[in-house]
Amino acid sequence: MSTHAATAPSALAPDAASASTANKSLVVGIAGLAVTAIGIALSPDKHGPVMSYLVGVTYWTAIAIGMLMLVLIHHIVDASWSVVIRRQWEHCLAAFKWLFVLFIPLLVLAWMKPGFVWPWMDLGQHIHGGGTVGADILYQKKSGFLNLGMFTAMTIVFFAIWVWVSWLVRTASFTQDVDGSATWTFKNRRNAAIGLPLGALTLTFAAIYWIKSLEYHWFSTMYGVWFFANCIRGALCSSVIIMVWLYARGDYKGILNKNHFHSIGQLMLAFTVFWAYVTFSQYFLIWNANVPEETFWYNLRELNHDGSTNQWWYVGLVILFGHFFVPFFALLSYRFKITHHIIRRIAFWVLTVILIDLCYNILPALKDEHGDSLPFLSINLLWVVTSVIGIGGVCIWAYLRSLPTTKLIPIKDPRIGECLTHHE
Amino acid sequence: MAAPLYGLIATFDNVPDIYHAAEKVRDAGYRHWDCITPLPVHGLDKAMGLKRSIVPRISLAGGITGFCTGMTMIGWTGAVDYKLIVGGKPLFSPMFAFPVSYELTILFTAFATIIGMFIVNGLPMHYHPVLKYDQIKRGMDDTFFIVIEARDPRFNLANTKALLAQAGGKDIQELEA
Repeated sequence: MSTHAATAPSALAPDAASASTANKSLVVGIAGLAVTAIGIALSPDKHGPVMSYLVGVTYWTAIAIGMLMLVLIHHIVDASWSVVIRRQWEHCLAAFKWLFVLFIPLLVLAWMKPGFVWPWMDLGQHIHGGGTVGADILYQKKSGFLNLGMFTAMTIVFFAIWVWVSWLVRTASFTQDVDGSATWTFKNRRNAAIGLPLGALTLTFAAIYWIKSLEYHWFSTMYGVWFFANCIRGALCSSVIIMVWLYARGDYKGILNKNHFHSIGQLMLAFTVFWAYVTFSQYFLIWNANVPEETFWYNLRELNHDGSTNQWWYVGLVILFGHFFVPFFALLSYRFKITHHIIRRIAFWVLTVILIDLCYNILPALKDEHGDSLPFLSINLLWVVTSVIGIGGVCIWAYLRSLPTTKLIPIKDPRIGECLTHHE
Repeated sequence: MAAPLYGLIATFDNVPDIYHAAEKVRDAGYRHWDCITPLPVHGLDKAMGLKRSIVPRISLAGGITGFCTGMTMIGWTGAVDYKLIVGGKPLFSPMFAFPVSYELTILFTAFATIIGMFIVNGLPMHYHPVLKYDQIKRGMDDTFFIVIEARDPRFNLANTKALLAQAGGKDIQELEA
């Protein structure tokens, strides 16, 4: 009945072909970063390209955080079906240190030109409606949290924790390949128990500092959860793309069966509903309470100051239908979940809409002289794309560089047998 | 008077035997038949030629019904039957109807799934002819059975017996309805 065991060993040897793909990816990445840099240099108002770069950094960091959380959840619940996919997540975690390197320009910019990206960093900045940030009571009350020193230190702490926890789970898993000791599994379970609360806190505060604080007047208790939902959805979709790629290349042929795709598809469906639940809750509570301190955030994304509808209103609808209804109904189907080219298409679709969702949360912070959000369709979209390609190229390079350094699957994991014969 | 014939039952000793026998019965084109095993045999559904259950479709129908029920209930009560402004909000908005519709989606999906599962499985079933077979309790312990029903269009006492024997079935017995 099981043909897995017969074909698996042939796919265990690490391959060298990844190396040339890795180099290509790095070249593409550097090209993307270079074009973004040119964009910043040439743009008369450098604000747009810089914000687009922030979109790119948070996008890939979100996917990496999602992968880290999936590894930790895998260990804490002692999952068996995801053992072979977990190895790919572990490789992806190699991207964290490079993501930190790519975040440094934003930190440097924050110190060189405070208030350029995050307006509250410049106390003298005039705010819409009169007065300065420093004289604003809403800033003063939050100043213990929102200040340049805290921002810098916290960002460094976030990346330090992510790099450290990644190092812990990677080392334990990779060492187990060599000595086969089950203690590494137990060690990783303890790492997960420490890493999960740390991960939850860091990703929440990262979302608050990097994205939400662009409008520091705003309140939303759902924000961290919204970011988490996108992190996990991005990670699951990236995993599907990696799984289909490795299967098509032959590496995972005989290792993955249709039930692995069914299971990860079910998680994609579950987190589609989860994302919709938290995103709707955030909108609904603000809509229902109708307090100006909260509604302004959505007003910026729906109306201009003269009451006319702006482009972000349509972007919001694209997110409503594209981020929930389309993937929800598509993922209900069993056949769609197990057919490689269809589930991959759904994964690419969701990854695209996650990017639009991040644009929706970040780019309306760019405003014109009336305080209206600058339109979605603008040259900034080009810089979003170049940033995503640039940072993505570096992340994929980090993954592909890590890929051949270990066995393709954790052959000595105690649950590997269960994983290879995963069934409904 | 002899009771009418329900079908034939054959005994198998182990998983590979019943698995391959199921493939033979499937390939012979029978539709009204079943396997009785003391443990879940992975892949047996495929060997028997069973399609995926239609229960998910019943669930989806239940979910859509629940969602529409929530939306129309709130729309009709608040904006048609007894117009009432609450909290300065419009008479009807999908916004505030959503939480209720969402809950009803889940509730109706759950009902549809449970009821659909009962109907598809033919439950509740208080009697089944195989219970008359004196060896049937071994099907919960260490023995595997294949039952082919007489109502199957391909059923023919002699030929079906021969098929079961050829598939490796032992102790082939006729079952009373």
